Amino acid sequence: MKNEEGRNSVGEVGVQTGSPASFVHRWLIFFAIALLALAIRLPQLGGRPMHTDESVNAFLTGKLLAGEGFYYDPQDRHGPGLFVLAEPLVKLLGTKSFSELTETQLRLTPVIVGSATILLLGAGVELFGFTACIVAALLFACAPLPVYYSRYFIQETLFVAATLGLILAGGRMLKTHSVPAAALTGGCAALMLACKETAVIHFFALGVALLAGRIGAPDARPATADAGQKPAGPKTDIPIRKPIFIAAGVFIFTTALLFTWFGRNWQVFAELCRAIPRFAARAAGEGHQKPFGYYFHLLDPLLILSLVAAAGVYAAICDAFSHIRKPGLQLVIYGVVVALIYSAIPYKTPWLALNLWLPLALLCGFGVAALWDLIKNPTGRWGVAIAGGALLATLSAQTKELVFDKPADEKNPYAYAHTSEDLLNLPLRLGELARQHNLSNPRIAVVAADAWPLPWYLRSFSQVGYWQPDQVAGEANFFITTTDVSGKLAERLKDYRPDFFGARPNVLLVLWSPPRTNATAETPPPKPQP
Amino acid sequence: MNKLLLHSLSLVLLSASVALAEDKVPLQTKLPDPLFVGTPVPINLPNLEPQLKKWPEFMVPAGTVNLAKGKKVTASDSDPVVGTLDLVTDGDKAGDEGSWVELGKGKQWVQIDLEKAANISAVVVWHFHSQARAYRDVVVQVSDDPTFSKDVTTIFDNSASGKDRPYIETYLGKLMDAKGVKGRYVRLYSSGNTTNLMNHYIEVEVFGKPAA
Repeated sequence: MKNEEGRNSVGEVGVQTGSPASFVHRWLIFFAIALLALAIRLPQLGGRPMHTDESVNAFLTGKLLAGEGFYYDPQDRHGPGLFVLAEPLVKLLGTKSFSELTETQLRLTPVIVGSATILLLGAGVELFGFTACIVAALLFACAPLPVYYSRYFIQETLFVAATLGLILAGGRMLKTHSVPAAALTGGCAALMLACKETAVIHFFALGVALLAGRIGAPDARPATADAGQKPAGPKTDIPIRKPIFIAAGVFIFTTALLFTWFGRNWQVFAELCRAIPRFAARAAGEGHQKPFGYYFHLLDPLLILSLVAAAGVYAAICDAFSHIRKPGLQLVIYGVVVALIYSAIPYKTPWLALNLWLPLALLCGFGVAALWDLIKNPTGRWGVAIAGGALLATLSAQTKELVFDKPADEKNPYAYAHTSEDLLNLPLRLGELARQHNLSNPRIAVVAADAWPLPWYLRSFSQVGYWQPDQVAGEANFFITTTDVSGKLAERLKDYRPDFFGARPNVLLVLWSPPRTNATAETPPPKPQP
Repeated sequence: MNKLLLHSLSLVLLSASVALAEDKVPLQTKLPDPLFVGTPVPINLPNLEPQLKKWPEFMVPAGTVNLAKGKKVTASDSDPVVGTLDLVTDGDKAGDEGSWVELGKGKQWVQIDLEKAANISAVVVWHFHSQARAYRDVVVQVSDDPTFSKDVTTIFDNSASGKDRPYIETYLGKLMDAKGVKGRYVRLYSSGNTTNLMNHYIEVEVFGKPAA
């Protein structure tokens, strides 16, 4: 969509970046939104129970704190990307061991990364335009999906930040042939792979978008040229091969550095090869099968964002056919390819929707920019601004409900197979029982096929053993089992008192405590702490 | 002589058994459809309530009926979070949205006024049966005193001080033997469940006969 002045339809509105003052204004705005995002993400960080995946990542962080390296497990884990940031951060906070870790300390990593993504969008103004980036930044700051998973100690938030970094750095590299941009491109790609193996899907989608953009709009001018913005820099005589080789070199070096955990584990490459069939099998579902449209419902249950994004898609296509803006069309292609691949894979979890949030938010930005450009009269623009404000208010209300009021509720679509709040009572009950039985350091035997997230919740007990149901459990003061344990253990537990605890929806654990002797029964309860 | 005595004794016992059996009939109730989505939780441990596959055979005096149907219900939480208190005795045990009442967090009770004193044979309770969960500290008491401050008989108690065992909710409900205890009011306690801190009731049935 081309307006009367011949500008493109996305990106010309807002703070211009041609002067130092406007450059400062732009960054002040994005810093303010990043601070808003941080303020939204920080409260009650430790309130939600630790999801199983979070507890696994917490356990691995604890191993790093204990001086062990990161060893890639092709069975059920991801790369070391998250831990590269989390370990130094928790150390900085003074934590020395797994038992000292708290939910808040661990979730600070995704909170900071999620807020920093807003700043990356500030850096994307030259590529996507000011309005598109400001709208995307506001959506990232306030909407429930990115806020929820920015407070979740898993790889997704860092992965999305690295993806945005790759897009921005890669775009700059291709435009300016800049060596630093090439190095950043390689680094971001390596960080993506070190976060999640699904990086290959994004590499493929970006490759398709790049090729399609070159074929579709060969004469397209840079976005900034018609946006009144400062050009990113003149093209040099450096052939494109050079930055591409540099990016590839940095990618290989950084990947090797991270996956070998700084040279400590060179077996990792064989493990990575073994992971391929494992992930291929997992893609089939493994109990996590969802319908094709699952992510669309998660991303936009009200269908408002989809309408705005559709306007953005239309604007991006119009711009591309007018030979104005390639990045818009390439983003559309990238978003469509990624959405199709993720939706076609039967295995689906709600946090994977965050990968689709990035293109959706930017396309919404394109849509708002196009509308703003289309509507010239002040009344109409006030209408757009009020509608935008109402949309943000609605999203913020959803965020309050889903992130803060009911973060682990079964009806919360983001709380997937989530640990029940009831499990928080298990360590408290164990401590209470230990006091009643005069045990200062109780032995606890966990017998379960899948014990997670118990290692997290039992981290303050130093004598905890884990057994599979077909193994003979060691001697213990207390036992924790699933409800289907039988055989010799059942015989051992026949005089014990059972207490149920909810681990996840439809998954119960049983805490078995021995009958109290007269001596222990007479032990007075501990005095309440002031 | 001894043989004759033994035969006579056997005959007396048999006659008594037949006479007693004539007064007893199996307790029947209309069960809801199972709502479990996914794999039911298996129970294989000796100290846990076995998971029932069918409605248990439980004999009650002939003429026993559900005295709670449509009776007034009061509760410790007079303003339920979800639903209304009349759902507890409305006869709907389906277990889906709209068929249960949710009371607030922590220890809560509901109380049914049978309007007249009755000899109660059994209480059957459905807390929530659309997923595997157990309710904590379930205590059921009967009394003629609406405040339950005197003459209270406890018919079920799986709290820490009780002798009954924890159990997992199913569509079969939980049948509790009241052993013919006499009383007008039935009060049921719970303290949250294994999923959240809330307390739910789909239906409570009180089987008995009006006291003479």
